[in-house]
Amino acid sequence: MKTSYGVFFAVLAALGASWAGFVLGPLIQLGAAQQTTVLNSTDVYPIQRPGLAAMGAQVYRSYGCAACHTRQVQQTGISFEVVLTSPGKDPVTVSNLLSTLKLTALTKEAADTAAKTLTDAGGKTETHLSATGADISRGWGSRHSVAADYLYDVPVELGTLRAGPDLANIGQRNPDANWQLVHLYAPKAVVKDSAMPSFKFLFQVRPVGAAPSPDALKLPAGFEAPAGMEVVPTAEGAELAAYLLSLHADAPLYEAPYTPATAKP
Amino acid sequence: MSEEKQNPSCPAGAGEPTAVRSSAPIWIIVVTLTLLFLGGIYFDHHSGWLNPRVYAPYDTADQLEASQPKSGAAAAMAHGKGVYETVCGICHGADGMGKPGVAPPLAGSDWVNTKGFYRLAHIPLCGVNGTIMVEGKQWSSAMAAMGAALSDDDLASVLTYIRGSWGNKGTAVGAEDIAKIRAAVGKAPAPNTGDQLMAMPE
Repeated sequence: MKTSYGVFFAVLAALGASWAGFVLGPLIQLGAAQQTTVLNSTDVYPIQRPGLAAMGAQVYRSYGCAACHTRQVQQTGISFEVVLTSPGKDPVTVSNLLSTLKLTALTKEAADTAAKTLTDAGGKTETHLSATGADISRGWGSRHSVAADYLYDVPVELGTLRAGPDLANIGQRNPDANWQLVHLYAPKAVVKDSAMPSFKFLFQVRPVGAAPSPDALKLPAGFEAPAGMEVVPTAEGAELAAYLLSLHADAPLYEAPYTPATAKP
Repeated sequence: MSEEKQNPSCPAGAGEPTAVRSSAPIWIIVVTLTLLFLGGIYFDHHSGWLNPRVYAPYDTADQLEASQPKSGAAAAMAHGKGVYETVCGICHGADGMGKPGVAPPLAGSDWVNTKGFYRLAHIPLCGVNGTIMVEGKQWSSAMAAMGAALSDDDLASVLTYIRGSWGNKGTAVGAEDIAKIRAAVGKAPAPNTGDQLMAMPE
């Protein structure tokens, strides 16, 4: 068949193009990714998860948490805010300007113009940058997720379905270990309308010994353990909670800049 | 090929189907090339040229660079913290408490909580030789001049950071003021002694 060469090369080109686009391209783009530093700081990012949390990542994976939870924050835009830090020598003019100027939810150009108007009048300003988007306004994060957030994750559990909330920053939203454990034991105890199944098998209900265990869950009213019993997380339960507490991908980075709330005076 | 059995559904005489060359319709070629061209324009404007640091909503590396929060006291403090931890913190400690026998503390020091920063700026710019009194204790360890390795902006930021951290209450330091002091002390300034520093205005 004289067309067989043509077919061979056409198939090779088609498969080669998709290999180049889906494998080679990302490898060239992100293959050399390494630890970076937090914006305007010498702190490195990301850092390896500590032992218990690293084991918890495998528990998260084995129970398929990623089937219902994503770990990726989306961002659709950026907005600038001009903050007056000092009124300068002519406070009257500056305060008059403040009442006429729009200072929040600005574009970069509008923020620069507003800042220049105030500085020309003698005031001192700061420009704050914040991310915008549905996920950001839900409080799921301060910025979008970037490749650096997943540098040490094998495999990366991005998730595609949001039956539950995004977990990219759950460790920062709820840094209370007891809350995380109670939520795994009986989700409805802390979130009234939660659709999450109870992960009771990550806990052990056992009689209180000579002294109550320091690891015993502090359960809210209506969900207490039976009298004389206590609820203690198993090794897997403690690991999963440690992993959840380790999830906070919110450091301001060069590729995802924003002004953290703590830096605002 | 000629030995093949006659297909009953294909009567003899209809002729064997053969592969022939025919050119693709011109409109398909035009549409494909137009799509490629538009795709190229989109790629050019939105991909950051496969820069690993450019993500949506940023379209180009320049746009990302322009969006970096750089202005303001918060940025100066953050930059100063970085400079401090790499240059000063080795001896003076990340917490500004100094090291016994090596470097005096900066936290709460009278040398730092001054009205102006003229005298303070001379310490990293020229270095210190001889004895110096800090918080009622005598320190006799020499400090090398750090000024040459740091830009005016670095030095201003680090002084701003020192004067605004660990409970210190000093005003911010401007890079232009540092430039003036640097020009006044010259290229290779001699280290000052504690008494010489005390003779300077604050």
